[in-house]
Amino acid sequence: MAYKKTNFFNYLYILPVVILVAFLYLYPIAYTVYISFTNFNLYHFFEYQWVGLSNYITVLTGGTFWQVLANTAIWTVGSLAPMIAVGFLLALILNQKDLKGRTVFFTLLLVPWAFPAFISLIVWQGMWNWKYGIVNKVLAMFGIRPIDWFDIVPMAWVMLILTNLWLSFPYYTSVFLSALQSIPEELYSIAEIDGASRLARFRYITLPLMRRTIAFVAIGGFTFTWNNFYPIYILTGGGPGNATNILVVYAYQAAFNNSLYNFAAVYSVIDAVILIAMAVIMLKYSGVLEAIT
Amino acid sequence: MKVWDVLRLGISYVILAVSAVIAVFPIYYIVITSLSDIPTIASISVNSLIPQPRGLSLEAYKGILFENPFFLWLRNSLILAGSTVAVTILLAFLSGVALSRLNVPGKRALMVTVYVLTFFPMTVTVLPLYLMFATLHLINTYYGLILAYSSGTSIYGAYLVKLFVDSIPREYEEAAMIDGLSRFGAFMRILLPLSKPVLAFLGLLAFMGAYTDYAMANVFITSSNMWTLTLGMWYLSFINRSTLYNVFAAFAVLMGIPIMAVFLAFQRYLTRMYTMSGVKG
Repeated sequence: MAYKKTNFFNYLYILPVVILVAFLYLYPIAYTVYISFTNFNLYHFFEYQWVGLSNYITVLTGGTFWQVLANTAIWTVGSLAPMIAVGFLLALILNQKDLKGRTVFFTLLLVPWAFPAFISLIVWQGMWNWKYGIVNKVLAMFGIRPIDWFDIVPMAWVMLILTNLWLSFPYYTSVFLSALQSIPEELYSIAEIDGASRLARFRYITLPLMRRTIAFVAIGGFTFTWNNFYPIYILTGGGPGNATNILVVYAYQAAFNNSLYNFAAVYSVIDAVILIAMAVIMLKYSGVLEAIT
Repeated sequence: MKVWDVLRLGISYVILAVSAVIAVFPIYYIVITSLSDIPTIASISVNSLIPQPRGLSLEAYKGILFENPFFLWLRNSLILAGSTVAVTILLAFLSGVALSRLNVPGKRALMVTVYVLTFFPMTVTVLPLYLMFATLHLINTYYGLILAYSSGTSIYGAYLVKLFVDSIPREYEEAAMIDGLSRFGAFMRILLPLSKPVLAFLGLLAFMGAYTDYAMANVFITSSNMWTLTLGMWYLSFINRSTLYNVFAAFAVLMGIPIMAVFLAFQRYLTRMYTMSGVKG
């Protein structure tokens, strides 16, 4: 009897989260899925009907969706690779015991992460300006002619990825640094006595022990960057045209600039389905899921 | 060997110095601009970024504080962020402790659900919430936004508190319960003080989320006396083109530097928590 009573109260503690999940996640998600099968938009605001798969057919047979999907992949992989590489390199550098001023450098490198990203992005938006921006003015000192970062598509990608690199590398550096510092010092000294070179020590001690951290960070970074809204929304707004637009920004603009709720819902649903599928595959092969439950 | 060490350290210092300059530059740029008499972005040059003592002025700050409704926006932002912190900590603590300590059928399913939910783009929930709040008359209220902000952080927070409380030995509360404390009492008197680090971290995360949000505030707020700092900043930098650039810079400094200071003051502790959670803010 006493056991049953505790069990009932146990539910009361979890209730708030269950309610939140149900009303602020599950219900809205179900609603979005429903809207994606209707013609609910600016033109059918008060009377909308079930239209079956027709929104999905319109989206999947049009060119915009595939371009935006490809952009999302470029954005995610293009941002993630340099972020992990730079983060790892700086962590390795900061982990050298004979380096002086490590704390000072580390603190300075954390600044982009510490400053609110929303503000930094508006500041960067001004700095990349073609005519007046400080980036082109600095480049001019090296004799480089002004680059139109916003209207030339490859340059827009360079701008977006560099800005995202600036925003995100401190996170990767600090995660990698704390993982490197948790590797026992003795492993290295034993290997050194055995005559292993610096490269061999890196190859056979550091890399294998870092593999799990790298996998964990890469999966987290992938899902975060895939749906990272602000950099693209603030810097290019997806432009020129939709040349740098990604799924989440496109869906937001479709809903709140153009009132095309049905298409916004289709884009959101497809975005989530693809991301979940990829995340499940990645989690399965990395063993991260066991670590979180 | 000796030559190699010198070379290695030399290259390390160069890379670190260059990275540090790039990392700090935009913040330096905005601070210097806020202190200069620079009417537009066009008048900023490489030379104007080197501070001249007689060129420094506080005009831009006067412009922000007395010619723009900065304090109204600040008040709105602080009310939203403060309430979000309170709601988040309360809900995340109770549910996180329960997830860690109590036997509830379906616990694992709930944890996986919560984890998978973090994969959904915010547009999936913002659109229905907008429509839902419109029928409930929660548009243009603090409640709607506080609910929207704290839903994400408290669910993620419950998961984080669970991971943290898992590392506290059960014997602590069990001993207290033998001494006559109720289970709830044990949670509040024993686990709550021990969870302070994770709750502080969560509070900062919730504060940052609400304080720097634009996407949701832009949707849920339409009347200008409800504007937050982020909406005000968007207006000053993109809509109202007559805004002086130094005024915008001063705004960025006033809004951003306090957050940066708090973050750097707690950096050691924050980076440890971020590593544990594996998610970035």
